[in-house]
Amino acid sequence: MKPRLTLRWIVFAVAVFVMNFPVISTLVTAFKSPGEVSRNPSLWIETPTFENFATVLTTSDRLNIYNYLWNSTVAAGIGAVLPIVVAFPLAWAIVRRGVGRAILFPLVVNLRALPLIIFAIPIYMMFSVAGLLDTRLGLGLILAVVNLPLALMLLVNAVAEIPHEIEEAAHMDGARLPRLLFRIVLPLCRPALITTFIFGFITAWNEFLFGLMLTTSKAVPMTVGASFFFATSGGGVQWGVAAAVMVVAALPPLALGLVMYRRITGSLVAGAVKG
Amino acid sequence: MASRQHRENALLASPLVLFLLLILGFPTVLSLIYGFSETSFETLMQPQFSGLQNFRDVLGDPTFWQAAGFSLRFGLITAVLQCALGLALAVYLAPLVRAHPWTVAILIIPMIVAPAMMGLMYRLVLHEFAGPLPHYLYQWFGWSPSFLGPAHVFKTVVLAETLQWTPFAFLLFLTAYQSIPSELREAASVDGARPLRLFWKIEWPLMLPTVFVALFIRFIDGFRVFDNIYTLVGSGPGGSTTSMSIYIYETFLRRGEIGKAMAAAILLFLTAFLLLALGQWLTRRRRP
Repeated sequence: MKPRLTLRWIVFAVAVFVMNFPVISTLVTAFKSPGEVSRNPSLWIETPTFENFATVLTTSDRLNIYNYLWNSTVAAGIGAVLPIVVAFPLAWAIVRRGVGRAILFPLVVNLRALPLIIFAIPIYMMFSVAGLLDTRLGLGLILAVVNLPLALMLLVNAVAEIPHEIEEAAHMDGARLPRLLFRIVLPLCRPALITTFIFGFITAWNEFLFGLMLTTSKAVPMTVGASFFFATSGGGVQWGVAAAVMVVAALPPLALGLVMYRRITGSLVAGAVKG
Repeated sequence: MASRQHRENALLASPLVLFLLLILGFPTVLSLIYGFSETSFETLMQPQFSGLQNFRDVLGDPTFWQAAGFSLRFGLITAVLQCALGLALAVYLAPLVRAHPWTVAILIIPMIVAPAMMGLMYRLVLHEFAGPLPHYLYQWFGWSPSFLGPAHVFKTVVLAETLQWTPFAFLLFLTAYQSIPSELREAASVDGARPLRLFWKIEWPLMLPTVFVALFIRFIDGFRVFDNIYTLVGSGPGGSTTSMSIYIYETFLRRGEIGKAMAAAILLFLTAFLLLALGQWLTRRRRP
């Protein structure tokens, strides 16, 4: 007996439309001319135009979208790679030798549930002394902390799935620990490394609170930069331009997420079930 | 041999431990110092020990309690709504997803959009003149509520959070639903159980642990909410959408009351810690 899907398609379409209504509205508005935006707030575009995108991409030095995009790319890159670097050796040690299973592992994993604002203030003070305020490196470092719990969990899962025999065989062949780790375990973990990186990059790109607090001008990330376009300077918000900015800002994580959706959903579920 | 293993183990753990000590350990010490001191941005380097004064200030601040109440209500309501909607969608759409796996990718789009951006997008959606939602409400019903006014702002932010994160609950429930052995369902339908009975007798009990996990995760996330509320309405009309995170942020950066903000952060940390411990104790008790 095959279940009828027609009604399910309708429910699916309604759910997608309602949940994505802001995204759809933004996308539509981004293609309306300034005149049309003030005249026609409906979801129908009378005369589609790329005007807003042209404005955004040739924007002045005060609101430079290329800077925001570059800052987000660098900071999110650091925020996605660093957790893998520091968590990988420990993940192996946790699985194969039980190192840190009692305290360190639960401590790191539970970090994820803490409100970020708790760290934001002392880190602001520390960064102001260390000269890391308003730098991409500083922002990247703290984004790495945000990503660390899930990175450690995903890597622990990955190492645990490697058959013991492979490592034992290598051990018999006299492979020392560094060689074992980097020549044998690391390549076998590649799928998990990619997932961890993608997931971490999206999370870091989408982060807002630390960007808001720890940057002011040079290192402002895209999420914070986008909110600048909503600051009313005189004549109110230019909705078409603001919408175009958001489309550009949301595009990188959306493209990554849609292409890699299987990995994303898998790691979300893995993260939740273990936590 | 054993001592070499010990050295190796220490070496393997050291990158992460050093990183944590540097980025979180040091700030933790700082927050303890400043939490018990009198400071301003001008005298940042000379904190004056002031005992429990900051904590007394925080606990005597009605805004703090208002924020705590807001976060608690917001976390509870959004968690329940998301789990109810997510569960219904997962169970109903499971056959569709099995036939067409790509539909999952479309359903999780809201989660991949930054919450801060979602808040900004709702500013457009709900705008009196430029927003599509008021436009259609006027067209169809001749009336539109003021979504961000004092009377409706709480419902609006709850709705925005719920619509963005229902896909998360959906995903967890879908996975749980798909992992129910098909023999169980077949056996039940051979016995003539109707779909609703099948759900309550077989599927619901098996998915119950996932329901608790989802409720807990969504509550924690709702409790600490910042991005989407901040970009949509800030602290809201009359401070009515001041969550705990927004309260601490404003105490620190807007009012420059460093010690008080730190004290509030320490209290928030203790609360979150207790919640986590409680959550873990409950799950541990459930599986002996």
